[in-house]
Amino acid sequence: MTNIQKINNVVLGIISIAVAIYMIIDPQDGYLLMLFILSFSLAFRGLKELFYFFTMGRHMVGGRFSLYKGVFLLDIGFFTGSLIDIPKTYVMIYLVIINAFAGLVEILRVMETRRYGSKSWKLKFSHGIINILLAVFCIVFIKHQRTVILVYALGLIYSALIRIVSAFRKTAFIFIQ
Amino acid sequence: MQEDFHYYATYCAAFLAGFSHDESLDICYSAQFVDLCSKTLLLKLKAPLIAATTQLQLEMMDSRTDILALLDITRIWASFHFLPRDLYAKKKWATKRYLNKYRLICGPNGELVKETVELAKGKSLQAIGLAMHVLADTWAHMYFAGTPSLCINNITGDFYENYEDGERKIRFKHNPTSPDDVEKGAYTNSLFQSNENSIMNLGHGRAGHFPDYSFARYRYVPAWGDYSLIYKDNPSDYLKAFAQMVYALKYLNGRFFSFDIERYDYEAIEPYREKIVKILKKRQLNACEEWKAFGEELSGESIPDFDIERYQYEYIKADRRYKNKTFLARFFTAAIAQKAMVTNEIFKSGNILAGFTKEIKYQEKEDDDDKIREWLNSKIRQ
Repeated sequence: MTNIQKINNVVLGIISIAVAIYMIIDPQDGYLLMLFILSFSLAFRGLKELFYFFTMGRHMVGGRFSLYKGVFLLDIGFFTGSLIDIPKTYVMIYLVIINAFAGLVEILRVMETRRYGSKSWKLKFSHGIINILLAVFCIVFIKHQRTVILVYALGLIYSALIRIVSAFRKTAFIFIQ
Repeated sequence: MQEDFHYYATYCAAFLAGFSHDESLDICYSAQFVDLCSKTLLLKLKAPLIAATTQLQLEMMDSRTDILALLDITRIWASFHFLPRDLYAKKKWATKRYLNKYRLICGPNGELVKETVELAKGKSLQAIGLAMHVLADTWAHMYFAGTPSLCINNITGDFYENYEDGERKIRFKHNPTSPDDVEKGAYTNSLFQSNENSIMNLGHGRAGHFPDYSFARYRYVPAWGDYSLIYKDNPSDYLKAFAQMVYALKYLNGRFFSFDIERYDYEAIEPYREKIVKILKKRQLNACEEWKAFGEELSGESIPDFDIERYQYEYIKADRRYKNKTFLARFFTAAIAQKAMVTNEIFKSGNILAGFTKEIKYQEKEDDDDKIREWLNSKIRQ
């Protein structure tokens, strides 16, 4: 992890904690802020990826992947932004599914890391499992909105803390001279 | 390339070019030292950090990928290990942003190789050794760029090795603790990172150590090549590198009046060609033993193993007035000059990836340097 990535992770972690606290304090509107941040960051990442494709990636073997990735992220970003007008329950389901998906990706990454012989996988693995468990819990209790928002906010704080802790851990690096 | 070529083979080339045993040792020591002169070492020696010719794994791990860090990385790796072949290369429809990286692709017989060798003319043996490292690496690191770049340095999974029994797919793994396995065709490479400027995408990291092995013959699809296959024949390329080194060294010791690209001294190596080819083709991770035996047979003298600390004491203990006469100080001077030359050439081509620096022109006096060093060492011993 480069220093810039570490700073990014710490900043994102702090923002996530702030949003989670706001969701706990004001469960009625807190989730809208979460939605806005998610929408903006996804759209920004999509645009960044598209810029990369048009300036560099299109000359690269396999570079079309950055085009697909950019379009997908931009689309998801716009879609997330458009959820503001629909009932809160569906929005929460959407947010929870995204969280569960992030947990699944984390577990898949852990499995890949273990295949390459890495020994530092427990923190990531537990993060993935807890993310999925929280999502399951939220879906089971989806009718109790306050509980769901509280659990989601706690999950968000947990993820943010893991992100911050990861930023300060030593990272394995392979470079061949 | 590794120690076997940069140290022992360079010794052989220098001796064949007419340098004495002692001179050849200084040249090959300097050639190998390029792979070890990191900022960490320079800090220990209290030497100028600008003279760094390589980066250690830990240094790179700590390295940022912001603009200034990228300039530093590019200056080091493009100047000493991935000398660009054509700073004015063109590609249809390519943006300036892409071309800046594309033009840093390393290759032999470029204008910068000529300038590198000419820069060492009339300079110290350390400068000559350093130039030989740069020249040799243009052959091993061909088709990769000395700057972090996914769109240039990435490789696809279609990476095949050709060997006596046929062809097989190379299996890349990312575990840095497991050694390369020549028999099974399993080699360690850097992890795929989709970030364009990730340090994992520097040089031939994505192809691992494999391009550095002299026996390697392989075909693959480079990220920059528009889906065309590249076939790389290291035994043949390394032989050319060796013959070109002999020619360049003959130019540097005054046997030739000019240094021209695409010229090799096959005549000088003809009596030993079979032996050299045999060493180059032998499937092994390290050919130091074979090159050393060949060098000792050539000169009839013993070649000491490379010792990174050999000249450190001399440099640390030297009085300020005489420090610049020490072995390492001469190496640092040569390194700074080479870095300045390459950085400025890249900048002059309209490419800002290496930044710019003050052009350094230095002339070494033909004085009794050896006597001064001898006197200096006797002082240190006292």
